[in-house]
Amino acid sequence: MQFGFDWATVIRRVFSPQGTFVFSLVVLAVGIVLGYLVWRSSRRFMRELGVPEAVEGTPFERTARGLGTSTVGIVSNLAALFIYITTVTAVLNIAQLTDPELYWARFTSFLPDLFIALFAVIIGLIAGDKAKLIVSERLRSVKMPEATVLPELVKYSIFYLAVLIALGQLGVETLALLILLGAYAFGLVFVCGLALKDILQAGAAGLYLLLTEPYSIGDEIVIGDQSGIVQEVDILVTRIESDGEEYIIPNKRVFNTGIVRVRG
Amino acid sequence: MNELRDLLGDLVADVDAVFLFSPNASFFEEFDDVDEEIVVVGPENTLDAEPFVELPIDFTDLEGRLRFGIEGALEQGIVDEGDEVLCVTEVLDGSENTIVRVQTNDFSPSGVYDMFVNSRADASVVRDVFEVAIELGKKGQKGKPVGALFVVGDAGKVMNKSRPLSYNPFEKSHVHVGDPIVNVMLKEFSRLDGAFVISDAGKIVSAYRYLEPSAEGVDIPKGLGARHMAAGAVTRDTMATAIVLSESDGLVRAFKGGELVLEIDPEEY
Repeated sequence: MQFGFDWATVIRRVFSPQGTFVFSLVVLAVGIVLGYLVWRSSRRFMRELGVPEAVEGTPFERTARGLGTSTVGIVSNLAALFIYITTVTAVLNIAQLTDPELYWARFTSFLPDLFIALFAVIIGLIAGDKAKLIVSERLRSVKMPEATVLPELVKYSIFYLAVLIALGQLGVETLALLILLGAYAFGLVFVCGLALKDILQAGAAGLYLLLTEPYSIGDEIVIGDQSGIVQEVDILVTRIESDGEEYIIPNKRVFNTGIVRVRG
Repeated sequence: MNELRDLLGDLVADVDAVFLFSPNASFFEEFDDVDEEIVVVGPENTLDAEPFVELPIDFTDLEGRLRFGIEGALEQGIVDEGDEVLCVTEVLDGSENTIVRVQTNDFSPSGVYDMFVNSRADASVVRDVFEVAIELGKKGQKGKPVGALFVVGDAGKVMNKSRPLSYNPFEKSHVHVGDPIVNVMLKEFSRLDGAFVISDAGKIVSAYRYLEPSAEGVDIPKGLGARHMAAGAVTRDTMATAIVLSESDGLVRAFKGGELVLEIDPEEY
């Protein structure tokens, strides 16, 4: 803030009033060219990074496509816009076409924050959708209705974080939201850790059992004191049966006691 | 005309219960002030009727439908053995045009209701497998008729009484009957002989299984082949239900407890 202000006064002191005006025009021209170059190079840079492929299929990209642009387009336009606005404010500052209010200087210094905030929101939206996709892809083979909540949870957690960062950048008082985040995280840990402890342990074990299948239906196994033939493995319990007696064993116990596979 | 009316009067006189098969709401309401017990039979209880017998598959043939409805009502204790019941249902054109009067012990129970409701596997799983078998029977593999054998429920025991004929394509997969992809997969895998094993909850455990139950003393109708014999035998040795699509005559048959309980023609569905 201080820097931008001083800079403009120094220039005004060095040049004559006409010189200052010409100089500001030059700055304007340079800014326009620079903006264009930034727009072009950022597009090319993102293309080479493979950003279009990475964001393909996310709702943000789809909305952008619907508006006749793309994520890459929006981001590069934002970058160019940032340069343009900075240039214009700098020029106005130098030429003193308006009153050299503190406002402009503040605006100049506020711009990067706004830019970063927008950027954070965009990245958050994309990262959230991507994370959801990845998580649901990972869980695809597990066909349980319980498993579909997880990707949504991940998505909205990331959205929330992105909005929080953006608001923080803009200088909005985020303390309340931070407390909410803390409460949310605490609640998550608390509820998961205490109320759903057993279910979650069984679920985590079940997820492992379903994905790797150390034993499958028809195998004869021993879990703790119970032995029998596996009839069903689902996310929470394993059902084993022997001599007309069916044991329904929480998957957690499978992990605690280990499994003995009887090969015969 | 009077004679006809008398005939109808005789038919409906002194019945113990009236069975309405898939009635619509207005038709059902007309029976509100009938003294006899009204039993609704249908695929879904949309009318919130009580008592209700659920039809797991859409029987197009009259006998199968009546049989299932009455056996279901008997099983649930809605009617007693020896009761006279009147069945109101549709044939051919979709409106209630048929009245049948039967005594509930006129026929020997086939166990078809029992198969759906009291089998180890969920009723919906049995129904899904039926649908897959019917679908397969209709379309076949590239127009040629195929045979298939599905063993549903008690999968652990079935797996222990069978051996693999080839690598199990369903190993470490979590495919359930009723998933949209299943029809295509099963059609492809039915190319090779062997049974599909399906668990109580509907998970497809294995394909290409060679069943090795002891077939001693299994009594199935003459003229059926090895596939049906295997199906009959495996259901006698285990608590499973077997659903067989015959390659030669294209019929879908179900076995439970070593006996044939249901026989339907896919072309009629």
